[in-house]
Order: sequence, then C-alpha cells, then structure tokens
Amino acid sequence: MSNFDAIVIGGGINGLVAATVLARRGKSVCLFEQNDTLGGMAGLSDGPGTPALAHLVYNISPKVALEIGSDIDAWPFSAPALPTVALAESGRHVIVRDGRATFADGTPHPDADAFQALNERIARYGDILRAIAEAPPPGMPKHAGYGAALRAVRRLGRMGMGLRAMGKAETRRFMQVLLSNVYDFALDDLDEGPLAGLLAADAVRGAAAGPRSPGTVFNLIYRMGHGGHVRVPEGGVGAVLTHFATAARDAGCRMQTARAVARILTTDDCVTGVEIADGEIAHAPLVLASPGAGTTLSLTGTDHFDIETARRVRKIRARGTAAKINFELSRPFAPENALGPPGPARYVVAPSAAYVERAFNPSKYGAMSENPVIEAVPQSVSGGRDWLSCIVQYAPSDLAQGWTDAARARLLRHTTDTLTAVVPGFSEQVTGSQITTPDQIEARTGAPGGHWHQAEMSLDQVLSVRPANMIGHYAFGPKGLFLCGASTHPGGDIMGLSGCNAALCALGDPA
Amino acid sequence: MPQQTRYQAIVVGAGHNGLTTAAYLARAGLRVLVVEKNDWIGGAAVSRSLHEGWTYSNCSYVCSLLRREIARDLDLPKYGLQVIPYEGGASFTRGGDYFAYYSDHNALRREMARHSPRDADAYPHYSRAIMRQCRFIRPFLLRDAPDPLSLRPRDIGEMAYLVKKAWGLGKKELGETLRFWTMSIGDFLDEYFENDLIKAHLAGSGIIGTGLGVYSPGTAYVLLHHYMGDIDGGIGAWGFARGGMGAISSAIAADFEAHGGVIHKGAGIESILTIDGAVAGVALEDGTEFQAPVVASNMDVKRTFLRHVNAADLPDEFRQAVDRFKIRGSSAKLNIALDARPDFPAAPEHASFLRGDMHASESLAELERAYDDWKGGRWSEKPYIDMLIPSQIDPTMAPAGRHMMTVFVQYAPYDLEVQGTRSPQNWNENRRTAMADDVIRQIEVAAPRIRDHIVHMEVRSPLELEREVGLTEGNIFQGELTFDQLFFNRPVPGYAQYDSPVKGLYLCGSSAHPGGGVMGAPGANAARAILRRETPGKRMDGYAA
Repeated sequence: MSNFDAIVIGGGINGLVAATVLARRGKSVCLFEQNDTLGGMAGLSDGPGTPALAHLVYNISPKVALEIGSDIDAWPFSAPALPTVALAESGRHVIVRDGRATFADGTPHPDADAFQALNERIARYGDILRAIAEAPPPGMPKHAGYGAALRAVRRLGRMGMGLRAMGKAETRRFMQVLLSNVYDFALDDLDEGPLAGLLAADAVRGAAAGPRSPGTVFNLIYRMGHGGHVRVPEGGVGAVLTHFATAARDAGCRMQTARAVARILTTDDCVTGVEIADGEIAHAPLVLASPGAGTTLSLTGTDHFDIETARRVRKIRARGTAAKINFELSRPFAPENALGPPGPARYVVAPSAAYVERAFNPSKYGAMSENPVIEAVPQSVSGGRDWLSCIVQYAPSDLAQGWTDAARARLLRHTTDTLTAVVPGFSEQVTGSQITTPDQIEARTGAPGGHWHQAEMSLDQVLSVRPANMIGHYAFGPKGLFLCGASTHPGGDIMGLSGCNAALCALGDPA
Repeated sequence: MPQQTRYQAIVVGAGHNGLTTAAYLARAGLRVLVVEKNDWIGGAAVSRSLHEGWTYSNCSYVCSLLRREIARDLDLPKYGLQVIPYEGGASFTRGGDYFAYYSDHNALRREMARHSPRDADAYPHYSRAIMRQCRFIRPFLLRDAPDPLSLRPRDIGEMAYLVKKAWGLGKKELGETLRFWTMSIGDFLDEYFENDLIKAHLAGSGIIGTGLGVYSPGTAYVLLHHYMGDIDGGIGAWGFARGGMGAISSAIAADFEAHGGVIHKGAGIESILTIDGAVAGVALEDGTEFQAPVVASNMDVKRTFLRHVNAADLPDEFRQAVDRFKIRGSSAKLNIALDARPDFPAAPEHASFLRGDMHASESLAELERAYDDWKGGRWSEKPYIDMLIPSQIDPTMAPAGRHMMTVFVQYAPYDLEVQGTRSPQNWNENRRTAMADDVIRQIEVAAPRIRDHIVHMEVRSPLELEREVGLTEGNIFQGELTFDQLFFNRPVPGYAQYDSPVKGLYLCGSSAHPGGGVMGAPGANAARAILRRETPGKRMDGYAA
C-alpha cells in the first residue's frame, strides 16, 4: 500500500505530460501503464524502424516542452521538415517543399502561389487558435479563481489583437471559413488535382469525415497549428516518447508498467486512489485518467456519475477510420518521376479532393475504401531492410463483417494495388507486411473505436463540449477525478496539451 | 406599359420576398415599381395551370415558414390567403409497412411504440430539444444579422442582444445549442432513436434543398430551418395555401397594388444602372429604362452582381466573395395530375396521414446513399421524396374527383454527369423522363398503381428551376444553408445587412439573412434596412418593424 499526491492512469504522451507537470510542481506522482512499455499509441512498435501507429510528428506544443522542461528546438524534436510528395496516377507527381509546390520534374506548378497562400492562411489562423488550445476551453469552471479568469481575459485580448493584426477583410474570411469544409476551401483557389487532394487528405486524416463535411477546415487548422511542418524526429517517433518518459522520470514520477488499473476508488464522492489488477491499492486524492471518458467511467463505476453524464459519455462518437500498414520492401521506396527530394519524404496518395471524398463514401456504410487515401513514410533502414510506413484510410472500426483476417488481407491488397497504380512495380518490391486495423488499435491501446483522438474531432465535440457537454473542463464525476487524455480539449495528435491542461486544472491553476 | 419611368424604389423580381419588400415600401409611402421577367408573378411561390382543370404549385408546395408578422402587416387574409394545416405524414417501406407521424401526441406515441417502445420514450426528449432550439432562433429571423467587426451602435446593440440571448440559455443549454448547430441530423437522431424508419422519417427535413447528406455536420440546423415556422402559433405545423403557393404571392401583390404599387411583367432586366457608383435605375431587356435611387434585387446574389451589375462598380474582393458563394442545385420536382387518388395499400383507408407529407425512405443509410449519388453527378437512384396530394384538402387544385400530387425530389444535380463530363446541358427530355421514372418507382413503394392514374406530369430538374424562376443552379434557398453562409456571413461577410458596395442597391431575396423557404423575412428585413438608410423620416410600420 502506498500514498501519493496524484495518480496518473496511462503512459501515453498525455499521461506522461500530466504526470511530469504535476511532479514538477512538487506533487508525488505515480503513473500506471497497462502495457509493458510506455508511450501509448505513439510509442507502439512492432520492431526496430517500424512504428506500429504514429510515424510523424508535427504538433508538439512549445508550451508542453516548456512545462516538462525541454527545449523544443533540441533533440529529439529537432529534425528537418520533410518535403511532401503528392503522388499522381499520371506520374506527374507534385513536390511540396517548405510550402512551395513544384512538379517532380522541377517545372513550376501553376497553383504554387495559390497553394502557398492557402497554407500561409491556415498557419495564420492556427496561430490565432493556438491560444485556445494551450489553455482549458472557453467557459470557466466554477472553481477557477480570479487569476485564471484574468488570464482567460488576457488570452481573449491576445486573440483579438491577433485578429486585428490580420485586418478586417482577413478576419471576416477567417470567421467564414472556420466552420466550412476543406473541399470548397481548397477548390475555391486550386484546380482539382494532387494539391487539392493533399489538403483534403491532411484535413481528414484519422477522422470519420470526408472533405465535403463542414468542419474539416477546422481540423486542417488544428493539424497545421504549429506551422504544418511534418517531421520524423531523430530516432523516430519512439525517441520522442522515450524523451517524454525520461522527463517524467527526471521530474520524480514513479512509473509502473504492465500494471493495469482495475478500479478507480472513491469514498463519499471523492477519489481516494486506484486498485491495480493484482489487487494492490494505491492511494491519492487526485487521479488523472488518460483513457477515454467511457473507460474512465466504467473504471469508477457508473453509479458515481449523474445519469446525464453517463448518457452523454455513451453518446460520444469515436469511430476510428485509419489503419496502419508497414510494408517491408526489397529496396528503398523511390517512385519514378519523383526524384526531387533525395533523402526522406512523406508521400501522399490522394490524387484529388474528389478522390478523398469517394474513399470516404464506403466507410459510412461499414465498408473499407477500395482506393484508399494513403500517407506513406519510408523508414530509415535498420538491419539492412527497408520499410514503408503507411496510414491507410478509410478502414472503419465498425466494418460490417468485422475485422477478420480475410478483411485485413483485403485492405492490404487494396493498399498495395493503390500504391502500385501510382508507383509502378511497387507490389513486386513488397517482401512482407504488418497491418494494424482500428479494432487492434483499440485492443492494444484502449482507445475507443481505435480512434487516435479517442473521440471524433467534429465541431460538436471540440472546445468546451469535448468530449461532451458539461464535462469539457477535465473534471469528471467524483471530486479529484480528471480526464487527461486525447478525448479532452484540445485533442490528439502527438502534442501533449490535453495532459498539460488537465494537470494544471487538477492543480486548481488552469493556465 | 406604365407611363411613368421615375420611381422612388424599384424591386427586381416578383418572388414572394421581392413583393414583400415592395409592399412594405409602398405602405411607407414610396412610389414603387416591381419588374418581373415572367408573364406571371410569384417566382418560386407560384400556382400555374399546365393541364386544363389542374393547378400546380410548381415549385414550393407547402407553407409554414411565412412569418405571421408579415401576414398580419400586409393583411394577407384580406386578399384571400388561407393556409389550411394538414395533419402529420408517413414513411412507407418496401415491406408493406409504414411509420405514421400524427400531430396528435398520444397517437404518435402509440405509433412510435409499434416500431420501438424505446423510441416512443425518447421522442418527448427529442421534441423538447428541437422546440428549445426553435424558440432560441425565432426572434433572430426578423432582425438584422449584426456585423461583429463593426462599432456602429446598431451592430453593438444587436451583438449584445445575441450575447444576452445566448447567455440566458445557461451554461448547459448553451453547450447543447452549440452542439446542435454543428451536428449532423443523422448523429443527432442517433443520439435519441434506434429505429431506422423513425430516424429516416424525421431526418428528411434536414436535407431538403441542400447539397448536404444526413450525416453532414450542419444538417441539424437545416432541419430547424424547416421546423421554425408555424401556422397560427402551432410551431412546426405545415399547411397548404388554398389555391396553391401562388396564393401567397398574389395576396402580397394585391396589398402592394392596393397601396399604389406597380408591377411590370414580361421583361427581365438587362442591367442595373449606376452613376458614379450609386444606383440610378434599371434597364430592361426590351430596352425600357426606369429610374430610381433605390433598387432592391430579389434575384440571388450571384445573378444580381455577376450578371446585372457593371463589374467596375464592385470591389474585386466583393466580386470574388460572390463568385465563391455556394448555390448548388440539389432538388427536382414532379407535379402530377391524377384521374383518381391512388391507393396506398399499406395504409388504413381513411388514414389522416394520407393527406400529409409522404415518403418512401427506410433508413439514414439509404438517404446518405442518395446523397452520394448526387455528389457523383447522378440523380439519386432511390431519392428522398416528399409527396403530397393537396387536392384532398383544397378542392381548387383539381376537378372534382381528380387529384393533384406534388413530389419534391432530393437529390438531383444541376450539373449532371454523362460520360465523364458534368454540365447542366446534359439535362434533356430523355434524362428528365429517366429521372421521373426512378422517382415514380420510389412513389410505387407507397402507391404501387400510381402509373395507372397519371394524366399529366411536369418534371422539373434544377435546370428548369434556374431557367424559369432564375434561381442560379436551381438552388431553392438561393444559396446553401451552411455555417459559412448563414447569419453575418450571408450572403458574403461584411454585406449581411441587405446592402452592397453600390449605394442604393439592396438584396431582398433568400440569398440574404435568414435564408430560404417561403418565409418573407429577407424581404421584410430588406425593406426595414432600405427605409432606415434611404428615407430619412420614414420608418417601417407593423409587427415586422
């Protein structure tokens, strides 16, 4: 039996950040992780050089780095931004480097200026919205003091200044496109083709939405919130998670892996600690849970929540739509006609915005895309072998016939065929593969629906109503219990802000 | 041909909104001219006889959204407007069953319980949620949308009103409201109901007239847009205008003419004339010119500014914004003359819902697939249909014993795809007939012998709607009802108060706040804006003021 000031459930990035923030403010913290390794969804790996899930980092928040005592510009975050290659069936691939688009053969792209302007606009909007992401969502919880209220007003003021600096015309534009769909947003300025497809694909990655769904521009802004540069950090995504784990350890957190929490304990509507699966009990007046709201609710017991909260939690939508496939290749991945970038790059198969929408269609009815949207990142050679890490959409968690081996084989075939159509000869290079479908993501990480944001990032589930109305400020049910995972504001991606915001809220000091 | 060529205000287009603006201006004492390109008035609120003995409500077909305030201000009942409520409706299934939506609460509860006892329990919660949203939004319909970036006292006042109303909801309701406004109708219904048929029946209003599917965020608002009306205070009730929807336009026109207004029919406008960036009048296609310092356009924002205003008079930014305005045709219409009322074998013989709105969609997935067809440039293979037989209630629509059926069809694209090319030119007689055949197959789900009774049929694709009424791309709302085109963003940011960069030129159609439907609100709001800005000393009078 042991006593702590706070217990954190789950050793994914948000759990680690929450634990670190608490420990750095003088709390004694213990973190329990059900798997053998820390890192959660982002840290999973099926072997050296093959990230099981996440393969890129683009959203690490400077605020989080500051809170855990790291330097955002230093290892392991630092890495040159990757160029993106938008693959086209015609072979006229488009390369985007530092926001500038050219055809792969070096000739200028007619939409280069428009594309750059769109990206800059998104980044500008992201700048303005970042202030909201880096704090609890608007609408102060009752217990927040004057200091927090003052900071909230200051944040609003800063946002206002940001809008003012943009000018009236651009502010009007911002208010118009914020809730609109990425299909129109892209095609208003670009010709239909790989560049529009790239924006569409980036906006809907991981979401149960198509580019024509209103709200997808918000998702794009969210994703590009920190400039939109994608990176493979030195040492891979795993290294970033190792770094976070080290930061937590350095801050004095106790970390216990392979210890699943069986129950969250309460007395008189106050949290008292947790019970581990082996029956051991750890006490603390504060428990921060990074699994989804539904899991946390069942760990605590539904009877500790009012009926409306239980109902709302049951209705949270979390339908994962992305699968992960790692291809083992006989030689480095190098599409013909895309000789532009020597070295690492991100490849996207989304030849047009309409293509992305068509890929989305079957997922609405529990079927997978025959021509999926693919984000592929070649992995650094390890042991002399080449891997291609792919995020494949749409592969809905609620596949009508269930995710059987046959279904997985079908998705693998569709993905191989789709890649072969844009990279001739690809299928002959494949010597092996690993596939992780949303059901497996759920089984391995506990994320509901295998959704990497734990709850859909649709407009009705963001900000103050994330993950649901009235539980948007991290506090959840019994006194002392807080949600700190990606299902809370601002949401997922390897960012850590949910954990950071939750920890500060739990300390009664919402920044 | 009117003798006079000089007026105080000219309204372009005799749709119900244009006539409403004109009538309010005439009542305020202005000399007003309405010019209309067709030989008949009413725009899309029109009744025409295309087959002897039968009257069709060719475009819009039922009435609920028309603001009471306007009906009273303009004395519409005096000019013969009579709205007859109809009771309920039904969705039929291929399996020979139906779900009936009764306006009687107890009957509805029993019917819901027949399909799902749980849904019968959930319905009151659902109904309360919708009603709360209706109550929240209704006061905004006859007010201007404030400009959030303006420091004018009026805008600050309107913003304060908005904040006050929102604040007054309380934290929990505010959260629910924000969710409701950003949700899809499919997700919203999934939160309450389990039965596919019940959900399909309730979802229809969320997609009528839009380029969105039942699972597109924002469609819950579209549902509200169809629910926020009332007939005699019965919120959400729908009815038939006796004599067809044209009766509404004729009544407004009658009030307008009774106050000295003039309607000039049969010639569309060539251009809106300007001098030094200010409106001077209009030039008609037949060469006639009329002068006025104020012109209100009932045409949609694209048609008005991209076709009839000199580009040099508009800032590039404004033109670009108008060019980007989304106005997508998504609906078709069948008007059918029947020699007898067809049988509905699934329904009891004298069921009240046969006099209401009938549908044949069985699940949200079926509705969403209909949307996927539209996205791909095809009309829906199994469209959502909203069919009514008004002649059962209104004997003026068809000869005795005969009937008139109106069938609204969702979805049909404006730019139909044929062999890889999408173009409105692809609509021809054969394709219209082919579409009608698919629609009739859907009607046969409810009325299997309908084909035996068809005497005459008018088939309208979005192209016909555009050509005849002048609605760009055949969009019935004069512009999509999406977040980026509502409230202070409608029609374009910075010009949401009926005005335009051209001094004296106003918009009074559904492209403006609060949007489409036979509501009259944009028309009344535009009149208020015009009187406030252009006629010192004159103010609008009445309930809608």
